[in-house]
Amino acid sequence: MIQLNKNYSLPERLVEFIPIKIVSVGGAGLNALDRIVLDGLERADVVAINTDVQSLTSSVATRKVQLGRSVSRGLGAGGDPEVGYQAALESADEIREALADSRMIFICAGLGGGTGSGAAPYVAQAAREAGALVIAFVTLPFAFEGKRRNAQAREALARLSEFAHAVVCFENDRMGDLTAPQAGIHQAFAMGDISISQSVRSIVNLIQRPGLIRIGFDDLLSALRTRNSRCLFGYGESDSDNRAHDALTQALKNPLMDRGRMLADATHVLVQVAGGPGMTLSEVEILMQELGRHVSDQTQILFGAVVDGRLGDRLAVTIISSLSAEDEATLLQTPLMPSIASAASPVRERYQAAAHEPEVQSEELTVQVQPLEETIPFEEPVAAEAAPVTAPIPTEPPVIPTRNGEPEAAIRTPKEKPVPWKEEKAAAEKSATPAKQEVLQFEPATRGRFEKSEPTIIEGEDLDVPTYLRKHIKVK
Amino acid sequence: MVGLEIGTSKICVVVGESRPDGTLKILGVGQAPSRGVRKGEIVDFETAMKCLHEAVVDAEQKSDVMIKSVYVAVAGSHLQSFNNRGCVMLPEDRDEIDEQDVEDVKINAREVSIPAQNAFLHSVIQHYQVDGQQGVLNPVGMLGQKLEADFHIIHGVRTRIQNTIRCVKELPLDVEDVVFSGLASAQVVLTQHEKDLGALVIDMGGGTTDYVLYSEGAVRQSGCLAVGGDHITNDISMGLRLPMARAEKLKIEEGSCVLGNCLPGEMILLKDDSGFAGKEIERETLNTIIHLRLREAFELLKRRLEEEPYLGYLGAGIFITGGCSLLSGIDYLAAEIFEIPANLTHAQAAWGVTSAVENPQFSTAIGLVKFAQVMHTDRPPRGLSRFLKLFSGKR
Repeated sequence: MIQLNKNYSLPERLVEFIPIKIVSVGGAGLNALDRIVLDGLERADVVAINTDVQSLTSSVATRKVQLGRSVSRGLGAGGDPEVGYQAALESADEIREALADSRMIFICAGLGGGTGSGAAPYVAQAAREAGALVIAFVTLPFAFEGKRRNAQAREALARLSEFAHAVVCFENDRMGDLTAPQAGIHQAFAMGDISISQSVRSIVNLIQRPGLIRIGFDDLLSALRTRNSRCLFGYGESDSDNRAHDALTQALKNPLMDRGRMLADATHVLVQVAGGPGMTLSEVEILMQELGRHVSDQTQILFGAVVDGRLGDRLAVTIISSLSAEDEATLLQTPLMPSIASAASPVRERYQAAAHEPEVQSEELTVQVQPLEETIPFEEPVAAEAAPVTAPIPTEPPVIPTRNGEPEAAIRTPKEKPVPWKEEKAAAEKSATPAKQEVLQFEPATRGRFEKSEPTIIEGEDLDVPTYLRKHIKVK
Repeated sequence: MVGLEIGTSKICVVVGESRPDGTLKILGVGQAPSRGVRKGEIVDFETAMKCLHEAVVDAEQKSDVMIKSVYVAVAGSHLQSFNNRGCVMLPEDRDEIDEQDVEDVKINAREVSIPAQNAFLHSVIQHYQVDGQQGVLNPVGMLGQKLEADFHIIHGVRTRIQNTIRCVKELPLDVEDVVFSGLASAQVVLTQHEKDLGALVIDMGGGTTDYVLYSEGAVRQSGCLAVGGDHITNDISMGLRLPMARAEKLKIEEGSCVLGNCLPGEMILLKDDSGFAGKEIERETLNTIIHLRLREAFELLKRRLEEEPYLGYLGAGIFITGGCSLLSGIDYLAAEIFEIPANLTHAQAAWGVTSAVENPQFSTAIGLVKFAQVMHTDRPPRGLSRFLKLFSGKR
């Protein structure tokens, strides 16, 4: 047996990090952001956006944007989404500046209030125009907060989902289920923040961690690609003896997953398994087999595996999927999209225009590019193949400013930088690198009490060696 | 009549007598734990002899019989089998088949090349054909010109078979005959009716798994796989890091090969003992180890048996005997893998010491006595396989 020297290491490669920004909007968003920062997050910038100066100053975010200096004068939006929207409009340039130069933007907001409901959709729009992949993490208010507040939240959610590539929605009511009935109210509220924090971190890790089997933007997109962009999300972590099983159970326990029942209808499920160097193939096998029981045969499973020394003994599972439109409708009971689309906002009109072109609508990612800045359009190979319509129009990047100085929706840049290829290559390199680690150590064949007897070799296998060793099935 | 089996886990001597009505009565069973035997074959001559002596003394005391000669069972992975057809033409001036012709056809059937160091152990008649007429059971006295016979031939390495014989003769006891242990088990486990319907006997002992497949009353396939209960114990011992004796005890007391049948996290507490600090182990882990080993053994067996088409014609099903058949769930596992109903069974065609007869561990030894009875009786029951004495010349 050839054993790799433990000290042997490959020359360090420059790993290309994808610039990621985490943006919080409103008071609830700030809380979530603080939690994310406190839980520890690397390789991502955090931006806090709020109307309320007081809460902004206490935030731990490195970059802060105050909205509506004249509209709200440093106070909150007073629970009125219109005030929040106007404040965002006033500070549009600052927002854009803060969002520039990132390829992936996470927006955290609590919907139902003024700033979160009013400004978050606008921030999402700006983020999208900056050419980034936008994923929004929002909380919906408790039922006891009143019908008005809930209605505001629903409306904001619908608007947000127009701009964001995906919306991960946490209902506070369901968060309550996660905490024990005797737990203090702060714990119940913290639960929402913790969930958001976990989701953001796991997606960031998903993208940034060099994987054995890498999950890229393309995988994430196909997992999230639905008309309504409502997202199923689960994250679990365990370091117990039976960690594969426990981590998956925990991931499925996430209120967004409904114990895996909702997975049955999903067409794409993205799964990433991350673990320390001790993670074994059989653990991954067990986990994927168990997960397989929750999804249908037609479901495409996008699988990623990552070895990350920082995880130590823990094994983490991230499951991301999206509901198809019909399930979404039954879930929300009220079809939000059509009812809101009639509202007269310049932004929405633009979107309705885009909705007339089905291909464009389905490939939202490639639709929006901001030509004002030199942003690299991150057209992933999969996305490009899926929409061959994007190939023609070999003209210069056309800039047709509209009222807000934004480009027309249906226009894209044909300028294709070799980013996808580079990324693919990088992915291949990355997957090659960890494969050389001593992750799965080859166990020397042991025959126990049959050590000195004549070996029984049938069909090329030494039957004296325990079956579970030969089949690499972990029994303990 | 005495049957002697030198097994991997125990040596067992069964004393029986044939009743005038043709039944078999077991007078006594002597046994001793076996040492110096691996996978059905003796590896430590001295130790094995001591154990053998203990077992014989035990049997003599229990049955109050002086043992002089025994039938000995042999097993081991070196045993192989095949089917072959022999053919003789009668001389021009004679057209009635006599017993000499039947002997001749048997010798003719053996005229095949087997490895030089191998010797024939059994030639079991399947069917005769007279002038192309199929399915003749006893051709003596029939008229015909051409006699053909299909035989199932079992052979093995001569020296290895002789090792067993020598060990017994050193005791000293006379060896009347050596019999393949799987064949011996099948004699008492199956009824004639089941043999006719088609049945597979799996005798899973300590060191080996012997199998015999019957179809239309005749042996079609047989063999020996050198995997047995010892392997399960070894797997448990290595997987759970237990001493061998503990692992054996755990297997017998708690082992099962059914998966998913226990509560998640159900633990088994092993009490501490001298030289062994107590330990808690998960039941599912134990069962998984057993399950994987047995599944592999059965799958291997299935692949071997599928080389010929008989597996699809088992009307009576699978009969599992031997020490391993005491493992709970083994019949379900076998039924699942072979997709044929499987039964647990023990010696049927005998009476006497009930506890012995009903213990599947003694199937082979009782089968030897049954075999002896058949050999001694002048008129062997119709269809029961007749064997050729083999080693008389060499002893």
